[in-house]
Amino acid sequence: MIRHIGKGFRIFSNWMSTYENLVAVYAALGIVVTICGILMVPMLSYHEDQIYSKTMNRTSTLDPYDRGGVPFTMAEIKAQYPDNSPTAGYVTTYLTPFSWFLANTTPYFGTTIVAHPGGIIDEILYNTRGLDTVVETSILFTAFAIASFLFRRKD
Amino acid sequence: MFNLPIEGEELFALEFGDIVNYFSLYTTTLFLFATAFIIIAIIARPERQTDIVFGTDAVYTKEINQDNLRFQRFMAIACGLATLGAVCSGDLFNFSLFTALIGITNIGIVAGVNNRYVLNAAYNYGIVAMVATTFLFGGASMALGTCGTLSIWELAGKGLVPLAAKMFLVLGVMGEGMAPFYIAKAEITRAPGAPYVLMIHVSSLLIFLRVIEIILTV
Repeated sequence: MIRHIGKGFRIFSNWMSTYENLVAVYAALGIVVTICGILMVPMLSYHEDQIYSKTMNRTSTLDPYDRGGVPFTMAEIKAQYPDNSPTAGYVTTYLTPFSWFLANTTPYFGTTIVAHPGGIIDEILYNTRGLDTVVETSILFTAFAIASFLFRRKD
Repeated sequence: MFNLPIEGEELFALEFGDIVNYFSLYTTTLFLFATAFIIIAIIARPERQTDIVFGTDAVYTKEINQDNLRFQRFMAIACGLATLGAVCSGDLFNFSLFTALIGITNIGIVAGVNNRYVLNAAYNYGIVAMVATTFLFGGASMALGTCGTLSIWELAGKGLVPLAAKMFLVLGVMGEGMAPFYIAKAEITRAPGAPYVLMIHVSSLLIFLRVIEIILTV
């Protein structure tokens, strides 16, 4: 009996030491944690007072790019630390006057290639959470650097 | 936040809009440790591994060519800088982003190695690092949904962040930094070029220490 357990354990530890099985080990851990997470879903509650809230306005001519706020005016931006973002609310949109005219006169602006995504979310991204934007592009550039290095290596 | 036992006293706060990085006694220690290793990676020349042919007097040294060395050094420094960002970040989402950057630069460090086994191990590690981002950002988004904010300053000491989000964060960091999965790392560290390859270990150790601090604080 003990010999069988020992043999099984040896096979298991041999399997664990092979790095090709690493993804499987991580996947098993991931499945366990995900199941725990799903079981805990009833215990989670959605906090109504979200600092980065998002609303969808399906009737807007900018749909699906309408993120609230009126272009060319100052918008109300909720920030965690308003003192650190003194210019929040002043760069509310990236719509040009011509695209704003298009959006007001035709219902198709959201579907055209000239659609400029803009509004509250961009204000949050570039003004109050600027460091996130910087790190995101750094991740992209690092990935490009690795890909180009691997592509150009000779051996 | 700074009267909690793990954190120590407040030394300095660095504001980036809503993201306010903080240097407590704990995070400053991690920060200085990472800085020391960046300096080592900048000034040190890579070690040259020596193999002795058994039974003879023959010895051969593994040379690293200049291109690979440059790329490895660049990635090691980038990894160090990402670690600096991750250890002092005061925001859950920003921490997740820096951790994802560490995972990518770790793959970059071993991409500059010519050994087939090392590259195979790095490939498997890369898949894990990609899958781990799901848990990492999932944890951060669960914290945002249930608490309404991401700032560690606001969440500290309240215990609002649900256990599931904490578990997701830890599993994500485990995948990115490979802290407990040394079976792949043993293969990776066969790679020549000691100070650069060591940056993989240092960064994973530091982000693991940091995520423990975060889940004990929030």
